[in-house]
Amino acid sequence: MRSSVVKSTFDRSVPVWITTAVTLVLLMILPLGWLAWVSVSSEQGTTFANYVQVFGDPHLQKALWNTIVLAFWVGAASLAVGVPMAWLTGRTDLPGKRTIRALIMASFVTPPFLGAFAWVMLAGPNAGLLNKVYRGLTGSDEPLMNIFTMSGLVFVVTLYSFPYVYIMIVNTLELIASDLEEAGAILGASRLRVALTITLPLALPAIISGFILAVLQALALFGSPAILALPAGFHTITTQIWTFFQYPPKVEQAAAFSIPLLLATALLLQLQKRLLGRRGYAGVGGKTGARRPIPLGRWRWAALAGVFAVLACTIVLPYAILAKAAFAKAWAQPLSWDNLTLANFTFTFFEYSATRDAIINTLELGIVTATVGAVMAALLAYVTNRRLVPGHQALGFLAVAPVVIPGVVLAVGLFIAYTRPPLVLYGTLAILFVAYLTKELPVGYAQADTTFKGVHPELEEAGRILGAGRLRVLREITAPLARSGIIATWCFVFIGVIRELSASIILFTPATKVISVVIFDLKEEGQFAAISVLGLFMLAMTFGIVLLMQTALGRDFLGAKD
Amino acid sequence: MPGVTLRGLTKRYGGVAAVDNLLLEVKPRELVALLGPSGCGKTTTLRLVAGFLTPEAGEIWVGERCLSSATAVVPPERRRMAMIFQSYALWPHLTVAQNVGYGLRFKRGMTRTDRDRRVSEMLRVVQLDGFQARYPSQLSGGQQQRVAVARALVVEPEILLLDEPLSNLDANLREEMRFEIRRLHETFGITTLYVTHDQAEAMVISDRIAVLDRGRVAQVGSAEEIFQQPRTRFVADFIGRTNLVDAVAATPDAVTRGALRLRVASADLTPGARVSVSIRPHEIAFATSTEGHAGDNVVSGRVRRVSYLGDAVDYQIELADSDVVLRVAAAPVLRLRAGEAVRLTIPPSACVPLPE
Repeated sequence: MRSSVVKSTFDRSVPVWITTAVTLVLLMILPLGWLAWVSVSSEQGTTFANYVQVFGDPHLQKALWNTIVLAFWVGAASLAVGVPMAWLTGRTDLPGKRTIRALIMASFVTPPFLGAFAWVMLAGPNAGLLNKVYRGLTGSDEPLMNIFTMSGLVFVVTLYSFPYVYIMIVNTLELIASDLEEAGAILGASRLRVALTITLPLALPAIISGFILAVLQALALFGSPAILALPAGFHTITTQIWTFFQYPPKVEQAAAFSIPLLLATALLLQLQKRLLGRRGYAGVGGKTGARRPIPLGRWRWAALAGVFAVLACTIVLPYAILAKAAFAKAWAQPLSWDNLTLANFTFTFFEYSATRDAIINTLELGIVTATVGAVMAALLAYVTNRRLVPGHQALGFLAVAPVVIPGVVLAVGLFIAYTRPPLVLYGTLAILFVAYLTKELPVGYAQADTTFKGVHPELEEAGRILGAGRLRVLREITAPLARSGIIATWCFVFIGVIRELSASIILFTPATKVISVVIFDLKEEGQFAAISVLGLFMLAMTFGIVLLMQTALGRDFLGAKD
Repeated sequence: MPGVTLRGLTKRYGGVAAVDNLLLEVKPRELVALLGPSGCGKTTTLRLVAGFLTPEAGEIWVGERCLSSATAVVPPERRRMAMIFQSYALWPHLTVAQNVGYGLRFKRGMTRTDRDRRVSEMLRVVQLDGFQARYPSQLSGGQQQRVAVARALVVEPEILLLDEPLSNLDANLREEMRFEIRRLHETFGITTLYVTHDQAEAMVISDRIAVLDRGRVAQVGSAEEIFQQPRTRFVADFIGRTNLVDAVAATPDAVTRGALRLRVASADLTPGARVSVSIRPHEIAFATSTEGHAGDNVVSGRVRRVSYLGDAVDYQIELADSDVVLRVAAAPVLRLRAGEAVRLTIPPSACVPLPE
């Protein structure tokens, strides 16, 4: 019999997949491996001495305890703020929901350290604006509040962590059918009883997992504790790890102190995943009827006032004080024509060399990381979604794994891994690039994954069977359909990079400063005006990108399709 | 126009064979339906033919070309096939004309004008003339289905593959599209494999039906053959409703179960062998004392339940001195009540013995 078997041609995509896998190993396994190894090594060989030393030190024990206190209260306060706000905007006839959502989104993308810094100007015990107003009104000598305390720190961190709770719950509430609640009402339950016995239990997994996300946020944060806790004379784990890197660096101790933070994060995330995985039992999902908002009646305006009080603290007041400081000759003086100036801008952008270099470095890193990250995330998501290689599940797992690594811990690992041969990256922008890429990959991957889940494989197969080769299908069918999703991925990574502080603060060198690090430096010098200018610049960039992303996705990126 | 031959085709997923040593011959210009319940391997078979999957063993031949074997596979784009998908798989970013014309871009020596003309002609055939500039999201489900059909036919494929193409349509439209697809097949005469789990659809559309069971072909034949002479218990049970009576062969042409004795449509049973007998409900008749042909099986029983179905009445009859309950479909003229004693006649030709 005549045979006309065509040998299948070598698949050019194979090397691409292999490269991606190797890169993931370099980004994750190497730093974490070194971190674990260094934490148990000394000049005498393997030892637990570093752990004993670190956890036996009363100062460090105190830092550990402070972190636990901070994380717990931030979690609790975020629930206290986030749950009612989610319910009010998701379920009731509260006026101005669109504006509220937009402002919550703004709090979500505001770098927490900028918020902390603004609150120093608002509620510092002496010069803080709110305290001055309070003293003027009451004639008291005591300040209204002192932001340089644990409660001040909890307050500020909560302002930028509660959006995590809010997003989790608002998205869940959207999935709970009104029918379920009405079924309770028809059986005779009052409105409050329905909320407590039906809605609340259904939303409980989301509430707990929102709590966990807020706790994780507080655990990993460096900027706010560094700005508020250090002047108050106390440490958290992250600021303590940073201190280990002050001269002379104690890398082994930093490593030993990092491991528990890493484990705690991993554990909490695992717990959260379990909780959400069980969500099926709640009957959440399926066909949902039309949503009928619950009338608030006479509480309507009181609720609105409460919501705006929160948003004033997260957005209005901080942004106002930043703007004032940026345009004023002296930020603590009243706003008048004499006090207005643009000199701060010329100083920051043209005269102060550190800021100019930092802006260039940040933009360069932002663009390169976002581009490489989006391409990697897209490739990985494509490979795992289309099951192109054996072990594709492992690739997907590796891509989201860095989510458990707090920025500071990642920085310690990268510092150890890349200050020695064969790859000496320390002192270059490359090490920051690696840090950012690792840190942002999970977010990028999640976005790309959603994108490719939305492109049905049959759309590609239809192209293949009609005569288009694999690469042609990628170019003419997959790429156009995935484009807006990939642009959004790019934006997510870019926003993440330009605001990054906790890893940068350990990995930067004088030649490789980025904007966030310069802001941190300027704070030490008391250059409030320059900080405000840089802060506004950063916010402008962020919101510009958010707008671009919303245009690409055709929806607001918290998930609403209004 | 070539046919398709599947020889010993095998595809495993994690040790489980989805398609197991499958043999099938589709003649040129023939439309064969692959029919079976979900998980029987029909879609896997189709995707193997399309080249989206590589078989672990066996070969796929189209005419004189071997397209798939365990060692080499021709990629889908060089198979000269077309496929209509369950989801239609219309590209949402392309217009109707661009969707339909896509496959023509890979035809050599075809100018843009040729392409546009062919696309317009094909859209006229599927009654979508004038919809060229629309996007798929602007079309109804039935219209999307027609675009998918046009996109597949316009390239004049050697082989056409359809994967449950009507399962997303509502019942009325589905029935209409069955005739439409049959009409198009008669017009173009393309060798076609049609995957479905709907036996009525398979019966209306196809020349022959291949019933698949656990990755193998259980039986191939015309709708009539499959219905009237099922060869396995699975086929008898899957196609139409039937009574299955487990019995033992008593003579070469009769079986027994307890006191029940039935003459069957066979003359070569091995006495003592276990045999299942399939009896279609509509082949059983209620006997009056004068009716019935000589040689028919006659059994007595009692009505257990009556279900009125409009065009027929469905009875459950408990046979006397036996644990067998037969379902009988009768015209609604005759109305029996539960508890009534009845006699049934069953022609031996309606008792189809099936090997265990």
